[in-house]
Amino acid sequence: MSLLTQYDADTAAVRRGTRRFLILASLLTLAVVAAIFVRQGLLRQTVSYGFVTDSAQDIAKGQAVRIAGFRVGSVSEVSLRDDGSVAVGIEVDADHMRFVTHDARVELRKEGLVGSPTLEIVPGPDKTRLAAAQARLAFTRADGLGALANQVRDEFVPILKDIKAITGTLADPQKGLPGTLAQIRASSEALNVLLANGNRQVDGIGVSAVRVLNKAEEDLKHLGQTLEAANQRLPAMLERTSQVLDHVEKITAEAETSVPPVLRDGSAVAADVREIVGGARQAWPIRNLVDAPGPATLKADSDPRGEAGHAR
Amino acid sequence: MRAKWGLLLLVAVVGCASPPRPVDPPLLKAALEVESDGAKRYQRGDLAVAERRFAEAMRRFAGIDDVAGSARNRLHLIRVKLAQGRAAVALEMLDGIPPGLAEELDVLLLRGQALLALDRAADAGQVLDHAAGRCGADCAAGASLEILRGRASLRRGEAPAARAHAERGLALLRERDEPRELGNAWRLLAAARLAGGEATALAAAQAALDIDRRLALPEKIARDWLLIGDIQRRYAPGQASGGNDARLAYARALEIAEAAGLKEISLIASQALQAIGM
Repeated sequence: MSLLTQYDADTAAVRRGTRRFLILASLLTLAVVAAIFVRQGLLRQTVSYGFVTDSAQDIAKGQAVRIAGFRVGSVSEVSLRDDGSVAVGIEVDADHMRFVTHDARVELRKEGLVGSPTLEIVPGPDKTRLAAAQARLAFTRADGLGALANQVRDEFVPILKDIKAITGTLADPQKGLPGTLAQIRASSEALNVLLANGNRQVDGIGVSAVRVLNKAEEDLKHLGQTLEAANQRLPAMLERTSQVLDHVEKITAEAETSVPPVLRDGSAVAADVREIVGGARQAWPIRNLVDAPGPATLKADSDPRGEAGHAR
Repeated sequence: MRAKWGLLLLVAVVGCASPPRPVDPPLLKAALEVESDGAKRYQRGDLAVAERRFAEAMRRFAGIDDVAGSARNRLHLIRVKLAQGRAAVALEMLDGIPPGLAEELDVLLLRGQALLALDRAADAGQVLDHAAGRCGADCAAGASLEILRGRASLRRGEAPAARAHAERGLALLRERDEPRELGNAWRLLAAARLAGGEATALAAAQAALDIDRRLALPEKIARDWLLIGDIQRRYAPGQASGGNDARLAYARALEIAEAAGLKEISLIASQALQAIGM
């Protein structure tokens, strides 16, 4: 009998212990769940806003919503509307709704161009009025790599085409610089002959004719200087153009791996222009257009110091 | 198929090919460029740089065993020395030129010019007479030879001969584009007429001055003014206007010489001004 009594007492103790354990575990579980809720903001008061976009690309439910880089809410709903546009709902902590002005816009950004996308609420300039709950905010997508690549392509492709056209024109043997130089040389020679004839006849003519000839000679000198300058600078210009093309090709080659269709055209044009410029530089350096000077002949001057008049 | 393409390519290459443009060897081209640059500097009156260029060109031509190029640049260099007033050095360099050069007449003319600058008129006359024997009727250096012979005659006090040479030189220059020589011929004619006592010397001197001004040669311009001053002084000694004109001419020569840094001519002009009581 005493043995049974002892058994009952032990059983009751075990039951009490078990009950206490279960209660404590349930409390702890509840505490953890509550902590999770608090941590996730499920128990916080939020305000809902929304925006409409034409694509749900890079937008997902639960995605963070930030203001000035701080997480203040999340995407609560992404749904396709009847008209094919996408309605996006976001919930922002009520504590931070003071930053959401009526003219605020939601911007989809990527961290470092290629990082994870986040939605950033950018307050508008008018701080006097806040957006009402359920208000529809404006939405923009910040330029991603694709947009930037498009922009780069749009800017440099016309430039490269211009360079192609210019170098093509310069290299044209008839209309380009070779032809122009040849024409200038021919004109210079004709003018020189004219001046030579004029010089012979001018001794008996008046001072005005001398002035005209002097002016013509000066013009010819300037022309010569201009040609010299062009001769010196154009190869350097071609060299610089080539360096620029090096960079452009490098950039396009690197970007091509991520956005091949976008930059394919630009890369092709760059390669094309490189070929032309390289060809122009190799086959047509300006200095080679001008023939090597012949042996110099100094103008005769039997009295370089004017000593014939030395009568004293 | 490959053969077809190969044939097509061959036809295209043959069609596009053109006779290669003859190109000077790089070292020769570089030497010619240096020489050409020196010639440009010489024409501009930048004698110091021209001297360096011609010396370098001479060295470069010698480096590629181009005897003609080397000799040509040596002659250019001698011309520069003469223009710098370093006649003794020029004569020394002329002595170093081996005989039998294509430019032998040029060598003789330069030698005559150097001897004249050194006041060795008799020696110069001999050299120039020898040069005259080598210079035919169509001699390109005929005008220069006439002027040099005229200068030698003038130094020897033979004014009519000097005048005749100057006039022959002017006649030869009529059809040629040698403005410097033309100025020299007019200056020689003016000096010869002055020595011969002809009042028309002034017109010739003014013609020389016009040409030298056009060519912007300061030393020659200053010497032309000195000559004009001498002529004014000689032919209008008693007249107030003549004396005044001479003073103005000398003063002009002095002004130009000082501006151009020509000490010798400054001294001559100052002495001339003192001589007429200024």
